[in-house]
Amino acid sequence: MLTTILFILRIIVPFSCIAVAARCFTSMRLGKRRKDPVILLEDTAAHRILPVFYWENSIGRSRSSDIVLHDQTVSRSHAVLMRRESGWFVSDTNSKAGTLVNGRKVKERAPVFPGDVISMGATELTLRRVESPEIDPFRPVYRRAASPFSLMWSVFIIQILLAVQVIFAKGNPDFNAALPLGLLMLTEWILYLYSITIRGQVSFELETLAFLLCGIGITLISGVSVKDAFMQLVAIVLGIVFYRMMIWFLGDMDRVTRWRVKIGVLAILMFAGNLLLARSRNGSKNWISLGPVSIQPSELIKVAFIIVGTSTLDRLQTYKNLTGFIGFSAICMGALFLMKDFGTACIFFMAFIIIAFMRSGSVRTVFLACAVAVFGAFLILKIKPYVAQRFEVWHHVWQHTSDSGYQQVRVLSYSASGGFFGVGAGHGCLKNVFASTSDLAFGMMCEELGIILAITVVVILAFLALYARSEATRSRSTLYSIAACAAGGILIFQACLNVFGSTDILPLTGVTLPFISQGGTSMISVWGLLAFLKSSDERTYAVRRRRN
Amino acid sequence: MKTTGKRSLIIFFIVAGFFFGIGSFLYSFATQGGRWAVQPFNGHISGSAASAGAGKIFDRNGVVLVESKGGKRVYNSDYDTRCAMLHTVGDTQGFISTGVQYNYKSELSGYNLVTGLFSPTGKSLGSDIHLTLDSKLCRLAREKLGSRNGAAALYNYRTGELLCMVSTPDFDPDSPPKDIDTNPAYKGAYFNKVISSTFTPGSIFKLVTSAAAIENIPDLDSRTWNCNGSITINGNRITDVAPYGRLTFRQALAHSSNVAFSQIAIEVGASKMMDEASTMGFGRSFTLGSIHSAASNYNVKSVSEDQLGWSGVGQYTDLVNPYHYLVLMGAIANGGQPLMPYMIKNITTPVGITSKVGTATLGGSLIQSSTAARLKDYMRYNVSHEYGDSLFPGLDVCAKTGTGEVGHGKGPNCWMAGFSSNENTPYAFVVLVENSSSGSVSSAGRIASSLMKAAAGS
Repeated sequence: MLTTILFILRIIVPFSCIAVAARCFTSMRLGKRRKDPVILLEDTAAHRILPVFYWENSIGRSRSSDIVLHDQTVSRSHAVLMRRESGWFVSDTNSKAGTLVNGRKVKERAPVFPGDVISMGATELTLRRVESPEIDPFRPVYRRAASPFSLMWSVFIIQILLAVQVIFAKGNPDFNAALPLGLLMLTEWILYLYSITIRGQVSFELETLAFLLCGIGITLISGVSVKDAFMQLVAIVLGIVFYRMMIWFLGDMDRVTRWRVKIGVLAILMFAGNLLLARSRNGSKNWISLGPVSIQPSELIKVAFIIVGTSTLDRLQTYKNLTGFIGFSAICMGALFLMKDFGTACIFFMAFIIIAFMRSGSVRTVFLACAVAVFGAFLILKIKPYVAQRFEVWHHVWQHTSDSGYQQVRVLSYSASGGFFGVGAGHGCLKNVFASTSDLAFGMMCEELGIILAITVVVILAFLALYARSEATRSRSTLYSIAACAAGGILIFQACLNVFGSTDILPLTGVTLPFISQGGTSMISVWGLLAFLKSSDERTYAVRRRRN
Repeated sequence: MKTTGKRSLIIFFIVAGFFFGIGSFLYSFATQGGRWAVQPFNGHISGSAASAGAGKIFDRNGVVLVESKGGKRVYNSDYDTRCAMLHTVGDTQGFISTGVQYNYKSELSGYNLVTGLFSPTGKSLGSDIHLTLDSKLCRLAREKLGSRNGAAALYNYRTGELLCMVSTPDFDPDSPPKDIDTNPAYKGAYFNKVISSTFTPGSIFKLVTSAAAIENIPDLDSRTWNCNGSITINGNRITDVAPYGRLTFRQALAHSSNVAFSQIAIEVGASKMMDEASTMGFGRSFTLGSIHSAASNYNVKSVSEDQLGWSGVGQYTDLVNPYHYLVLMGAIANGGQPLMPYMIKNITTPVGITSKVGTATLGGSLIQSSTAARLKDYMRYNVSHEYGDSLFPGLDVCAKTGTGEVGHGKGPNCWMAGFSSNENTPYAFVVLVENSSSGSVSSAGRIASSLMKAAAGS
């Protein structure tokens, strides 16, 4: 009887998750500002009105500029008109003729007010307010957006259902086993009250999705070890704190720009520290033990990597070459090779490709980087035989069920054993296999909670990446666009490596599944990545400005 | 910003890669999930974590051969029955890859795409399998083989039902011996010799040589061969047990004269011999449901005359798979085209729905019907004039014995393959005794006699 009830609850969970996720993503779509001009520029000579659509707008002769000026005296990318906390600014981006505001030459950046005249070459532009005053262009129109409370409430119900699975995992009710999950729910409501009531935030979709995934992760871990579930809870709490700090930090673009170099140096120092202090664990040298806790610096450096890589539009236009960033990336990648952490190296490489392409638009750079990567991979296979071994077993796991294909065949076998709705939390067999709650988390989800939920989880991660992309032109700066795309790319790519590695579609590399896998530093890191997505949503900082 | 927006399309490539991978995973999950799930290491099927027991296997009379009790596989309570049915039913660990438990794992375990191996009701989802085999007949075959290694199989060539299939050495699946991998007495215990092994045939191969002779020597029945005990070909001496004098073809087959048959093989020629062997199923695998047999071997490409002569009497590199010969006997009995044996009578799900019913299927023709008819006559003559009808009273058995010499100080493989030509007892059989210390009639023949009498009696 109990078995049947738990089974019915397991049928309800994945479909509720799909409903909540769908509501979150549609809500984020609907919450977007309409594509109306935010301000206007009037060409004084021609009396032509040029609408301005973005927070940061490149002005120039080039057809790829946001505001195209047909004037031979204007440089191809001449200046950037951008909106900041305190109003509109114009920034000259190394133009030949220079940029003037009301006749005064702009050095780096100058504020512009409605009625001011911006001169570039022979063109004069006057800043004008949008004429229809009933539309405040910066106030997002919350059409049918889901209320944060209803989303949170749905996730709460789903987590109650998961908790029931955990409580009755051993037949007799064991409420202690569900304590970590219960505390997670408490944490969620605290963050909800802080964000919505105290900070006055209007959107809560990303947090809701992250909670949904974290709850599923804790459910899996609780079935293996309640102690580990508590550790995971601590990691989630730290992750949330880091997330809020990141949102604050990212709030001021100038601060981010000022700290970029320092953060880059810090990242390199962390790698150096890692290489000096770390002991080899399971073939790779990516852990440092600090007393009772072990941390994985490379996870945190992922966040730093994005901060170093991203940039505002005026800086992108001014400093076009990528040399500094390529150098920084090379150091990171080199350190990861020395640490023998090739899975993470792949993730950094993917982040590098996204950032490099979004900054430069150069397909050549991407191809060159890929060529170097292929060459690097070839070298690794030559000099690191254990990596080659992983490649050898790839697609031949069924001939190696008791040695090098041990984990993969068990993931496949137990995933299939779970069917659509799983055998129940704590009832799986995969949990006895090494790294079940981290590298093989996808298989554990399939086995214990069913393949529908497992696929839903990874599809949510894919939609986070798509969401980051859809925000690319709406965010407050290219700084956020690039960072969000890189973060979204990392999340989905990491999910790919985890899911496809453990199911023998790709060679197995030990990487974690974002928000699900057990792991302190990696949990903190994914919350950090989520902060980039959050910051690219223009609603995130909407309230604070209204207060000012 | 516009440019940044365009460049962000790179994310689509990654997400497209992701969906492609998920799609291919789901495709494999749907098509191969059953195979993935029913691995022997899977804790949901075996071991203490088994979430639901697997189904039962019954013989044709409803005798339970194996069932799940308290998370364990428990075999029939009778030791001899357990051992006799071992190779058909298979072991718990899955070492016997031709066993029903191995090949019908997904049916027995109740695997399905929607609930996997999990049972929402807590009761076993596994289907029960009813076999066509008669455990009593198998027990008898095992008893008659005694301590000797070998194989025996018997089937109804009119219905296709496999009634008996036994292979020795065997072991008790309830408590597999600890020294099974080291003790030479258990060598080959994981193999079902009926299905998976091939052996030097000796004179049972003369049926192939005979068929080739029937089709290629027009005046066969008016010919005679002078059998003086031996013949030297290419300096190589081929001998008989005794000098028989001048023999007709029929007499030569009944006496199983190597002298005559080596000459016949040479006269027919290597290429026609190979054609005939190939037609009769050599070099091919036969199926028993989803299980594939080992292929018999006959190859006389570019051989010397003496080697061709030896090949014609079932020596040289000739190898025969017992199951192949069982099917061949069925073909001869059935006028050239065999009814293929099957052993799954039906499979019933826990809710009582019969999901599969075994039926006989007609196999491809193995021999021309006119050749089959003449061969049947000769084989009947073998029993009535040479082996003695007292072995098979009232059954009108047509058969051929064989003594395959294997060398290496081992006794020969003693064979008997045949069938009853009586319409009331349509059974075909093949019996093999390895390392035999007596002649083929007194070893394999006696076992065949017991099996045929028991099958006809029940």
